[in-house]
Amino acid sequence: MNSQFDGNVAFSGGGFMPSQATQATDFGASPTKSRDTLGCLPLTVKQINEVYQTSDDKSNFVVDGVDVVNVTLLGMIANKSDRSTEVKFILDDGTGRIECMRWMSESIDLKEMEAIQDGMYVRINGTLKGLGKRQLIVYCVRPVTDYNEIAYHFINCIYVHVYNTKLQKGQGSNQTPFQMTNSGMSTPARNGSMGYQAPPNQFAEQNRMSGIQGLDKRIMDYLNQPIHLGRESGIHRNEFVQQLKVPMDRINHSLKSLEEEGQIYSTIDDDHFRSTANG
Amino acid sequence: MDISSPAVFVNAELLPMHVGRKVRAVVQVLRTEGESIIGKSTDERQLVVKGSLPAFRPSTFVEVIGIADSNQSIRAEISTDVGEAFGMFFFSSIPNLI
Repeated sequence: MNSQFDGNVAFSGGGFMPSQATQATDFGASPTKSRDTLGCLPLTVKQINEVYQTSDDKSNFVVDGVDVVNVTLLGMIANKSDRSTEVKFILDDGTGRIECMRWMSESIDLKEMEAIQDGMYVRINGTLKGLGKRQLIVYCVRPVTDYNEIAYHFINCIYVHVYNTKLQKGQGSNQTPFQMTNSGMSTPARNGSMGYQAPPNQFAEQNRMSGIQGLDKRIMDYLNQPIHLGRESGIHRNEFVQQLKVPMDRINHSLKSLEEEGQIYSTIDDDHFRSTANG
Repeated sequence: MDISSPAVFVNAELLPMHVGRKVRAVVQVLRTEGESIIGKSTDERQLVVKGSLPAFRPSTFVEVIGIADSNQSIRAEISTDVGEAFGMFFFSSIPNLI
């Protein structure tokens, strides 16, 4: 196995990214919704609160343009109260507090909730259902044992927010209509390092938005080609010289400025680069 | 839902904005002075954590939740030992990002 961190696999896989089905509903292709077919979105309480404030239809929640049913949150437990049929508690994640409720329908529910106490950090998975009340119906509560998971959760929330916000921008443009390539977005883990098929139009749009032009844009377009996104070690600066037929000093100048802007980063050494848009 | 009193993530830079309110911060224990902990915040400044706290070994990372009572001190209500293998680098960005 490759020990290098691969953002595609880490973030797109595992069900925490909006799944293929979620994207499909976003584009109006599939009206069917169920807990099984929708992804599990990492969110903060503040984001959920904003949804409650903006959404008129309490049965349909949309965050950053993506339909949300299942969510994963991480925070501290407070005010836990046990009843024979349900357990209620408050989750405080530092951005807000949300009331949560878990039905005690099976012995596993009871067993899991017995170990949970006020003041513990937990990761919860639940369903965002209004039912007239602002509360989360929880079906999994797991104590946090490695506290780095707190930072991870928020970074994950930020990543997903930026990812989905970029999608919205891509959709909003008439010049470069966004074509979702579901196969690439939903199964990077299975496709392996060569199979990631990010939609080039999305990045073209992104480059236009951020004002990248000329050689910088040609380098970004080259890096964002699907076949190059999959190369974990990145692209050597000599390859830009050969492929783009531009002198090395100009390539070096562009690479330096792109790196300073945070558009690219060096990988295995100072000569290999990847695009940060790769996620 | 109540967003009026979440314990906000802070570092030393943000603490002055929340004096009198409930905050949460992670500090690395430098030493203890009486009932107070002198710790290093995630943005590498000195913070004083007051209140009756358990004894923490130096270099341990501790998350404290309590009231910010000055620009550089927190009166802790809850403290959690988050271990010694704690990624300060990533955590330090969180207060500024969310």
